[in-house]
Order: sequence, then structure tokens, then C-alpha cells
Amino acid sequence: MRWLQLLTVSVLPLVALAAKKPSGDRFSDFRSKSLSSGNLKLDDNVYTQLTKAPRDYSVVVLLTALETRFGCTLCREFQPEWDLLSKSWQKGDKKAESRLLFGTLDFVDGKSTFQSLMLQTAPVILFFHPTVGPDAKVDAQPVRFDFTAGPQSAEQIHAWVARQLPASSPKPSVVRPINYVKIISVTTAVLGLITFVTVASPYIVPVLQNRNLWAAFSLIGVLLFTSGHMFNHIRKVPYVSGDGKGGISYFAGGFSNQFGLESQIVAAIYGVLSFATISLALKVPRIADARAQQIAVFIWSGVLLCMYSFLLSVFRIKNGGYQFWLPPF
Amino acid sequence: MAAPASDTLLQQFTGRKTRGVLRFVILGLIAGAAVSSRLFSVIRFESIIHEFDPWFNFRATKYLVQNGFYSFWDWFDDRTWHPLGRVTGGTLYPGLMVTSGVIYHALRALTLPVDIRNICVLLAPGFSGLTAFATYLLTSEMVASPSAGLLAAAFMGITPGYISRSVAGSYDNEAIAIFLLVFTFFLWIKAVKNGSMFWGALTALFYGYMVSAWGGYVFITNLLPLHAFVLICMGRYSPRLYVSYTSWYALGTLASMQIPFVGFLPIRSSEHMSSLGVFGLIQIVGFVEYVRVQLPNKQFQTLLRALVFVIFVVAFGGLVVLTVSGTIAPWSGRFYSLWDTAYAKIHIPIIASVSEHQPTAWPAFFFDLSMMIWLFPAGVYMCFRSLTDEQVFIVIYSVLASYFAGVMVRLMLTLTPIVCVASAMAFSQILDTYLDAKIPEQGAKENGSSDPAKVAAAVLPDGLRSTRNPLVGIYSYASRLTVIGASTVYLMLFVLHCTWVTSNAYSSPSVVLASRLPDGSQHIIDDYREAYYWLRQNTPDNAKVMSWWDYGYQIGGMADRPTLVDNNTWNNTHIATVGKAMSSREEVSYPIMRQHEVDYVLVVFGGLLGYSGDDINKFLWMVRIAEGIWPEEVKERNFFTQRGEYRVDEEATPTMKNSLMYKMSYYNYNSLFPAGQATDRVRGVRLPAEGPQLSTIEEAFTSENWIIRIYKVKEPDNFGRDHQSATAFDKGHKKKRASKRKGPRVLRVE
Repeated sequence: MRWLQLLTVSVLPLVALAAKKPSGDRFSDFRSKSLSSGNLKLDDNVYTQLTKAPRDYSVVVLLTALETRFGCTLCREFQPEWDLLSKSWQKGDKKAESRLLFGTLDFVDGKSTFQSLMLQTAPVILFFHPTVGPDAKVDAQPVRFDFTAGPQSAEQIHAWVARQLPASSPKPSVVRPINYVKIISVTTAVLGLITFVTVASPYIVPVLQNRNLWAAFSLIGVLLFTSGHMFNHIRKVPYVSGDGKGGISYFAGGFSNQFGLESQIVAAIYGVLSFATISLALKVPRIADARAQQIAVFIWSGVLLCMYSFLLSVFRIKNGGYQFWLPPF
Repeated sequence: MAAPASDTLLQQFTGRKTRGVLRFVILGLIAGAAVSSRLFSVIRFESIIHEFDPWFNFRATKYLVQNGFYSFWDWFDDRTWHPLGRVTGGTLYPGLMVTSGVIYHALRALTLPVDIRNICVLLAPGFSGLTAFATYLLTSEMVASPSAGLLAAAFMGITPGYISRSVAGSYDNEAIAIFLLVFTFFLWIKAVKNGSMFWGALTALFYGYMVSAWGGYVFITNLLPLHAFVLICMGRYSPRLYVSYTSWYALGTLASMQIPFVGFLPIRSSEHMSSLGVFGLIQIVGFVEYVRVQLPNKQFQTLLRALVFVIFVVAFGGLVVLTVSGTIAPWSGRFYSLWDTAYAKIHIPIIASVSEHQPTAWPAFFFDLSMMIWLFPAGVYMCFRSLTDEQVFIVIYSVLASYFAGVMVRLMLTLTPIVCVASAMAFSQILDTYLDAKIPEQGAKENGSSDPAKVAAAVLPDGLRSTRNPLVGIYSYASRLTVIGASTVYLMLFVLHCTWVTSNAYSSPSVVLASRLPDGSQHIIDDYREAYYWLRQNTPDNAKVMSWWDYGYQIGGMADRPTLVDNNTWNNTHIATVGKAMSSREEVSYPIMRQHEVDYVLVVFGGLLGYSGDDINKFLWMVRIAEGIWPEEVKERNFFTQRGEYRVDEEATPTMKNSLMYKMSYYNYNSLFPAGQATDRVRGVRLPAEGPQLSTIEEAFTSENWIIRIYKVKEPDNFGRDHQSATAFDKGHKKKRASKRKGPRVLRVE
């Protein structure tokens, strides 16, 4: 246990350093406080202290609501990016030449600040220009960044912050830490996969060479894509939505609009129609029994007719001017 | 449509020659149907070039015809992208213009003086006939049944998915490119089948033509290597494949490099790397195969297999290193956005802003392909039956093109040919089965059910489930009648659908709009041409016109005036400059316009008529693109109200109301209505009682239905005042200078 004592002794001077008296310079005080985490954890008092009027440094404050009961997913998604940005700024700007401080004010700690700013939404980033010194701005109002465009990356916020600062000040870029865990896990997974493939190849190869499997994959792919799956994916459409009367509306109004469920219904219709076609073309002529064949022809023709008619009726919902129809629907 | 069916019927009792003649006649009729169904717009309106891009192609063709080939090749156009200009000869795909030029000169040599405009208008329908023929050839290579080819040709001739880009007047690259695409694929299949250098070279020739005609050639560049690669992976490497692939790649790459716009891209850009990689791979595989034949040694084979693997890894690593180090150009944005679907939205708003680049919802698929959309998977499934080399091609093409068509609306065009081929295969299978007059004997049942089934299963262990039993045939006439009757109804419905879609959706020139009067008669709205003609007649020859880029080609083509930006969106910053000028206050916009020597500003305004494709609806894109370059000066947020709404009425934000675009759109608009009654019929809102005031520009022209409004940029004031105070002075407002007075007046006593 000797080394533990040694360690304690060696840490002592650092503790003393951390506990040293405030020097009177607000910037260096706050900066030394923020050294550990990169940004300051604020509450109402510290916030007013930090942004008080004669100020020879700039401040960027993120106003956020991290607790789950507020249901702000954007805040929680953005928090790691924000920490990354402030940390890499601090590391890149060791001498604090940019005179910029990062702070985070959670709604729980800063209700009155939120009220005084009349904030309805979170997160919001405020940038306070210095009020004294060479880079001072006349306009004392902070510059505001709203997250209107959805989640932002650290780089995007970095670009915004860099635009607020004067051209001469250093703007250390965002350094993303190398994710060793990911690298190792990916390597292990790849090696494992290769091993698995080598060992299991006698069993896998017949499966891979199975024609039915490939046929199934291709057909599923074709049906997915032609029924607008990529549209759902890109536009992030709702799966289904109510019709305002308590029921469910399965089909979205409008020609270039659709729901997730809707595209699945359409894919199923296409699938049934294709299957009926395949049966009529390939399976029925291979039925050896005449009666069974006769019945199969009628059944599949009926399915084809009903489904196609249903498809046309669905399409008439989507496109009001469409006038073609087939008997049942 | 019953024609292909009758061909199958006649097959039994006509000779070879008769059938050949019949087939020829049917193909001729299909080509006739294809051409004539594309003429709606010419009959309804007139022989006119449509939309936007065709106007540039038309202008370039006129230049080619007037100045000859060489000066077209070196054309520097100083009348677009003022003041930068555009190296047009080196930045376009010349195939389309050269084709029209050749036709023009050929007709003149035959003493048929045809106006170049008519050639341009009718080029797309003409080539659609050829496309139908090429589809016939391609399908005939795929299956033995001759009716499939004819059906595919008929499908291709009238399917709206292809008509959408090839109606008369739609003089765009796609007009000839789809024919070239299908024909190149046909030649490729022919080459792979025969292993012939001749067909491979022909593939390369038409591939080169395709490269000169359309940027979509990249689809071929990637599909053919993929086909070769899959064949190799399936263990189907053969000298035929080697010969056809290498001759295509070597000659085709050389051919494509002759186009100035493409240049050295085939060896530098990532899009072409797959074909290069497969070229390398096929050499190694070929070498290994050769050695294997010479040395039947088991260990040596293993060694060779390892060698192949190592070489592949090294080549792939080298590719990655070259890409990272920047020797190989990265993916172009448009191509990249196909894979990472969120890419364009973040990085290139100008690509995201084009409606053709939006993803496709399912109604669009059905609208463009109708019944074929469900025949298509059945046809793909049938390819798995015997899965020959060329049928593998169909499967790959189908899956890939379905994906692309789902991501981008305009790529529906590349999907259409394969949909026609596959669904014709499925449909002809049904027709052939049920039109076969031969009735199987009932006695065959015993044979069919027990013994041959096992034999077939033994012969075809990896066959499809649905084809395991031996083929028997159709017994009863009732079945025949049911299926054939239903098929005829579906085919007729298909024709009706195609005609309806073509007539209603794809035959509007969009330069001329048509509407119906209450009594049902047609009313033509011709504001675009009215305004462009005004520009042509009333402005000096070199008056610069600023407008949003959508109208650049039309102004260049119809008004013949220099523009700042146009549909060739090569310079994003320049477009953003125009966007900034449109979305800023007059005091900001005026210096920008003066610096760019703008004389006239043109805006499209649909408020009076309810024309929704106007500039106010496109305005947010201008703001976004400008914000991409000047995030401090233009902010999208400021154009939305507190509650996040985009409004133009009383509640519109001050930024919106003061923007040049808003002012130009609504200037003087309320003078049309009784006081306080001005309404915008697109947005459906009541406008503020007080209309916007303009000071740095003045209204020069407004078309009949107010769709186009042209403003003249004022010269600097004669007395050196700024325009605001000059306007105020002209209106009789007294300048407020009370604060500037220096003390009380003193009587001078000298």
C-alpha cells in the first residue's frame, strides 16, 4: 500500500491548486472550474455571474432539459455532441486565447433563467459577445441558435460558434476521440465471421446456392422497392394515422404521400397478384388431374380479378381523377 | 394489343417466312402506336419545345447547325452565367445535338428542307419506335417464345413510365438515351451468349454513343461489371464472358474518354472503379483457369485460389488508399445521394431542391407502369426457372433498378425497360400456355404423377419448387376461355390506362398551360411566351436578366437574353448570390444586382391564377441555398413566423415582407381588387391592405395572367441620392431633417 500513499502525496499539491482563492478575474475562475469537464454546469446564480454585464470574454450557453420527464429527446441526443465540442475546444485552446467559455444550464437548475428569457423550447444555444475589450459588440443581446433544423452535430455547432468569434481568435476544431471499443469489436466480429464462414462453409454453400432462396430475396427486394419502401425510409412517414373520427385511416390522402402500413398493404397486393400469375403460368399446367386443374384455374383467376380490382379501387382513392375500374370493387 | 397473341396462334400453321413478315408488320405497327401516342401535345398545342432543359438542348442544336461541329465542340457561351460564362462545349453531353444535326443534314442532302425545330420536337417519339424494337430484340434473347418479344415491344411503346420523358417536344437527353440503354444491353447479352469480340465491340460502340448522350451511362458502367462479377461468383466463368467483357471494357472506356465532359473520369472517379476492378478480376480468373487446365494439381489449385484472394485484397486496399489520398475522385454528390439517402438534404440543397430527385411513393409506380407492376415480380421469378446467363442479368437489373427508382423519381426511367421485358415474359408464358390448342391426354396422369417427377427432381435438384412436376398442359376449354378472356380485358385496361395517363399527365408542354372554361372549352394560358417575347422585342440584345435558375434555359432559348444562372447548376455560389438578392431587403439586393450588371429581374407569380409552381412556393429553396453560403445574412428561420408557419399574408414576418421576392410578387397586386380584398389564390390567403413599395426597381412588364412579372433595375440616381429618398421625394414626402438643424436661424447682417 505504499504506492497509494505516494500517490496521495503527489496529488496533494494539485488539490491545493484547485482550492486556491478566487483571483478576482472572473474568466480565469470560470475557466479553471470548467477545466475538468469542458463546460460549466450552471444554475441561476452562476448563470447571472457568468453573463454579468462588464465582460471581457465570450460565453456560449446551452439551455437544455435533460431529465426524462420533460421528454426532450433532442436535448439528450445533443448532449454528448455538446460535451465533445466543449472538451475539444478546451484541449485545442490551452492558453485560452479565444477567451470563450462553455456552459450548460439545465432547466431543473435554472427555472428562473428560462422564465426571464421566455423560453418555450429547449435546447437553445446563446452566444454572449464580450461587452468590453477589443472584440466587444455594441449589441448586448446574446446571439441565439434554435434547433429548427433538427439534431445538430458538434461540427455544425462549431461552425456556428466560429462564425460568432472574431477572425483572429483561434478556433480549435472538433476532435472526435477514437472509439477503440468499436474498432476492437468490429475486428473481432469480422474475424469471427471469417472463422464461422470457413468452418460452416459445407453447410452454408448449399444454402447459398439454393435457387429458391435467391428467388425469394429478389422478389422481396423488388416488391419492397416498388411499393415505396424507400419513400417511407427517406421521408420517415408515420406508420398509420387516425382519421379524426376515432378510426384508422389506412391510406394517406394525396398522390405523392403514403403511410408505412399503406405501402405494406400495397406490397402484399402486388405479392398476391404476382403469385396468382406465377400459379397460372407455371403451376396450373403441371397439375395432372383435370378437375383439380379446372378448379385451380378458376380460383386463381378469381383471386387475380378481385385483387386487381381492389388495387384499382385503392388507386382511385389516391388519384381522384382516375376513372378505370374492374367489377367487384 | 391482341396482335402478339394472334402471332402465337398463327405459329402453328404458317411458314417461317410468313411469320417473319407478320412479325415485321407487327413491329411496324407497334412503332406507329409508340410514335402516335406521343403526339398529344403537338396536336393539342403546337410543335413546341417543352419544359426547361429541352430549351437549352434546342439552343445548342441551333448553334451546332449554324456554326458547324468544330465550333460547337469549342463553344464558350458568354450569354449564360453572366459574368462568368460557361464552357458549354466541354460541359454537355453532345450526343443528342449531334444526332439531330446529323438527321438535319441527312434530310437536307435528300432535298427535304425540314426546320430544325421540328426535328428536335419529333426526335423523342421517333426514337421511342426504335426503343420498342430494341426491347423486342432484348426480350427475344431472353426467352424462346417469340410472342414475349413482341409483347415487350408493345409494352415499351406505350408505357407511361417511358412516355413521361419522350413525348413530342420533350427534347431531352433521355429521348435517345433509353434507346441506347436498351440496345447496349441487347448487344451485351448477345456478346455474352456468343463470346464474340464483334458483339463486344458493338456493345462498346453503342456504350460510347450512350456516354455522349446521357449522364445515366454510369448505370451501364456499373451494371455490366456486376453481371460479370455475379456470373464469376456463380462459377460460370467462361472464355465467352472473358472475351465479351474485356473487349467491351477496353473499347468502351476509350470511346467514353473521347467526350470532353467525361474525359479522364473513367480512370479517376469512383463510379467507374467497379468496371475497372472486374476487368482486373476477370484477368486473374482467366489466368487461373488457364493454369488449372495445364496443371491438374490439387495443391497448386489451392495456392492459386489463395493468390486470387490476396490479389483481390491488395487491389481493394490500393483502391481505398487511392480514394483516401485523393487520386481517385470521390463519388459525385448526385451519385452518392443514391446510397446515403440523407446526404443530399444536408450537403447539397440544390440537388434536394429538384422535384425529380425526390423519393417515389407507390402511386407513382402504379401510375407509370400500371398492370406491369405486378407482372414484373412474376417475370423475375420465371427467370429463376432455368437461370441462364442472360436471365441472371434480368434479375440483377430488376433488383438494382427497383431500388434506384424507389430513391429517385426520375430513375423510374431506367426501371421501365426491364419491367417491360420481365412482365412480357410472364404474360407471354400465360398466353402461350393457354393458347396452346393441344389437349393433353388424360392417361398421361399416371405417368406424370409418379415416375417422371422423380426423374425431374433428380435431374434438376436445385430447380424451383413450382416447376418440379413435369409440364402437362391445359385440359379444358373453359380454363382457356377464362384466362384468355381475363388477359384480354387486362391488356385493354392497360392500353386505356396508358392513353389516359399520357393524355392527362405527360402531354403538357409546361410552357403553355391549358385550362377549361366553365362551358368546357379549352383556354390556353400563354404567359410564358408572351413575357419572353416581350423581353426579346423590348430590351437591348445584351440586357442581363436575373431570375431563379429554373427559368434560365427558357430565357436563353426563347427570349435570347443573357442570364445570371440557369438549369445547368454548375456554380452553387452564383446561384446562392441570386438567392441572396431575391431574399434580402432592397438595400442589400440593389448593390448585388448592380455588381452583376442586372438590367431586368423576372419573377413567376401564380397568385392571380392559382398556378402553384411559382416563385413564392420555391422561395424557401432560394433562402436555403443562400443560407448555405451566407449563413449570417440570410436565415431561413426569419421567414417563418413565431409559430413556424410560412405565411405571406398580414402575419408574414418582416423579413419576408421586405424581401425582394415578396415585393416583386405582390407589387401593385392589390390594385386589381377592391380595397382590402386582395387574395392570393395559390396560398389561399387574404393579403395585407397596403401593398409593398419598391424603390430600386420599377415594374416593366406583367403578363396577361400575371404569371410573369418583369422589373427593370433603376440606374443610380442622377442627383446621387439613394433610391429610397428619391422615391420618397417623388411621392412628395418631405424629408425629415428637423433633427439636423443647427440652432435657430440668424439674420445675416453684412
